[in-house]
Amino acid sequence: MKKTWFIFYIIVVCACSAQAKLNVVATLPDFGSLAREIGGDKVNVTVLAKPTEDPHFVDARPSFVVSLRNADALIDGGAELEVGWLPPLLQNARNPKIDVGKPGRIQASEGVRLMNVPANVTRAAGDVHALGNPHFTVDPIIAKAIAQHIAQSFSALDPPNAAFYQANYKKFETTINAKLQEWGAAMLPFHNQHVVAYHDSWPYFAHRFGLNIDIFLEPKPGIPPSPSHLTEVIAQMKAQHIKAIIVEPFHDRRIAEKVASATGAKVVEFSQFPGGLPGTDSYIKLIDALVSRLAAALK
Amino acid sequence: MKRIILIALAILPLAIVSAQQAAPPAASASPAPNVSSTTPATAEDVAALRQQVQSLTQTVKGLQQQVKDQQAALEKANLTGESGLPANPEPSAIAGAEASLTPSGSAVPQFPTEDTSVVSSTTAPAALPAAGASPSSLPGSFPTTDTSVVTSAPETISSTGAGASLTQPITIGGGKAYMNISLDSVFALAYSSATDLHNIEVGDHDPQQRGFNARNTELAFDGAVDPYFEGFANIVFLLDNNNNTEVELEEAFMQTTSLPYNLQLKGGQFLAAFGRLNSTHPHTWDFADTPLVNGLFLGPDGLRGVGAQASWTLPVPWYSQLIFASQNGQGEAGFSFRNPGDNGMFFDRVTTDRAARGLQDFVWIPRFENSFNLSDTQTVLAGVSGAFGSNETGANSRTQIYGADLLYKWKSSHAEGGFPFVKWQTEFMYRRFQAGHGADDSFPVAETFHDWGLYSQVLWGFKKGWVAGIRGDYVHMQDSMYTDDLDRQSRWRLSANLTWYPTEFSKIRLQYNQDFLQKNFFLSAREVESIFLQWEFILGSHGAHKF
Repeated sequence: MKKTWFIFYIIVVCACSAQAKLNVVATLPDFGSLAREIGGDKVNVTVLAKPTEDPHFVDARPSFVVSLRNADALIDGGAELEVGWLPPLLQNARNPKIDVGKPGRIQASEGVRLMNVPANVTRAAGDVHALGNPHFTVDPIIAKAIAQHIAQSFSALDPPNAAFYQANYKKFETTINAKLQEWGAAMLPFHNQHVVAYHDSWPYFAHRFGLNIDIFLEPKPGIPPSPSHLTEVIAQMKAQHIKAIIVEPFHDRRIAEKVASATGAKVVEFSQFPGGLPGTDSYIKLIDALVSRLAAALK
Repeated sequence: MKRIILIALAILPLAIVSAQQAAPPAASASPAPNVSSTTPATAEDVAALRQQVQSLTQTVKGLQQQVKDQQAALEKANLTGESGLPANPEPSAIAGAEASLTPSGSAVPQFPTEDTSVVSSTTAPAALPAAGASPSSLPGSFPTTDTSVVTSAPETISSTGAGASLTQPITIGGGKAYMNISLDSVFALAYSSATDLHNIEVGDHDPQQRGFNARNTELAFDGAVDPYFEGFANIVFLLDNNNNTEVELEEAFMQTTSLPYNLQLKGGQFLAAFGRLNSTHPHTWDFADTPLVNGLFLGPDGLRGVGAQASWTLPVPWYSQLIFASQNGQGEAGFSFRNPGDNGMFFDRVTTDRAARGLQDFVWIPRFENSFNLSDTQTVLAGVSGAFGSNETGANSRTQIYGADLLYKWKSSHAEGGFPFVKWQTEFMYRRFQAGHGADDSFPVAETFHDWGLYSQVLWGFKKGWVAGIRGDYVHMQDSMYTDDLDRQSRWRLSANLTWYPTEFSKIRLQYNQDFLQKNFFLSAREVESIFLQWEFILGSHGAHKF
């Protein structure tokens, strides 16, 4: 009997808190970070994937079903990055508020021109996304667009606080615009330089800052590095005097270290996600870290 | 395409006119960007540029409005046309980038032919190409917008169908279709010390003979039916030991998508939500064969049938779900229930093979499952299930199966491709089976069997794509002096395997089984060793992974 009352109590508490704040679920930490910038203390943000894990393969934990069930808004990439784990969660969550097309569903790729859309789709090319490369949030200009989208959706879902969300967006936009000058200046000396990455997660970052990140330790996206491919990469790196190899927290750093020691390049730890590197709890801090780390390695 | 050209034609004259109107301030300042590439920009230059940009922005805003109006008019006039905005007018963002990187001097007169974000990027006069100029001397020099963003969000179209209803095509492989299709084929090369491997392996999709086996090629279809239902079908083709093709309608059901109060209804032919493994398809299993307890209690094909199911996720802060299903429970897929058996015999009795008399002849299948996160990287899912119905060995004989299952999973917080992980899964079942007198009281005794069994398996994904597993199986069948049946032998099994997943669409697995069948009243003890090399491929839509 006591237990029953306890459960009721929890239900009531949940129901009340749900009304007070907008419950926002973000599939990935970058969207979560932008949602916090816009929503401030008017929203509860739950992020499903951990910043340090591979976003292609996240376990569809049952607790995520509960988060999605209680969500007023869901922010996902909309570009198949989460295709391996989000669909069954949504099926179980049974929450019409976050169906595609509803105001509660914010698909970050809307309005973003995705890069590297394959002309032909074949899995012989590895884990290629049919809609284009889905790792777009690391471009600050695209991040602004996502933030604006989030602000518009939050305003529609929570009209009394619309001005608050819009003001937060303006603030974010101003900050990014100012920061872009700083980041652009820091990257300018390395214009057109080649950088090697473990996985093809960085075309948007490269495009924004005038870099060429087009050699990868993976022979094809999602396929682990093979010795013969690495030999090729090492030869290319030596020929082009490439100074940096980008790895993400979930990649096998030892492989990158091996290539680095064979070529004299530096291994640079990068992350697509706020929280993936120490001291990067916000989007701005993340790009700060990426720019300063890369600049230091390329010097 | 036609519409895009129309819009472009409509914009062009307007743009030329507006550009001419804006000409005086532009003319005085337009050489500035070119100058800036040779001499450092002065404060005056910058101020002039700002002014120019402001006036341009005004013009552009006016133009945008005009374009919108035109578009609206066009849309009205051309309702049959495709969606309002070009989803991807330029396939490559790099092309857009090049545009934004060219000196703005040349871009100014032509700006109306580009979209709005190109125009606004002229606020940044040639930042990157002007490598000679000191970048910090030009505040506002780095572009803060460009064509990578098509427009501000809600008015736009995403390739995944923003603003789409559930009935719009589902995206597969970049194309559009109303359903996802996939083909999945599993094969096995088997060797066993037993010549009658089909008596040792208990699942219909397990390797059943020495040599090559093709016992599970399935076609899976799924998609949204309409805004209210989604549909799913799974059709299995298998080659029996005589190389004849058998076709099974393994599953075909629809379920609701938009019921309130976290309810979901499902109807059709489906695998019962009993325990962990029963509701899943063989290609998702961690071993090459069915656990003994699943094959011997729930049946070689699992417990499935035509029926209906309701499920409800409880409004509590953790994951908690109640599921209740009812199925006909007929035939081999209702193995311990209304199963006429091979050649009309089950557990040594001639079966009654009767039609359903009433509710007592259906199989009733409740399940209650809960899940908790022990930490950020550890999850537990536990459930209890039941299956209750009548069987065919007597006029009023009934079967009850109770199950309990537990799944524990740890996955690294730095997982790549889902690795490394450790997964421990156990299922326990108890079956009470009333074996009656058979059809027309042809069998001398009625017995009640209390059988139980369990399996427990640990999988260790130690490296991206590599999984090692061990499994222990035990089934206790109550011994009988009357019932002579191969399936009533208590037995245990130890299995070990190693699986390589080159990608999530293929796998190669090597498995070793050691079987021990215990002596009973009719059968002698046996020891069997088997080895399987299993391989699998998946074509088509990306199968998502259930937890």
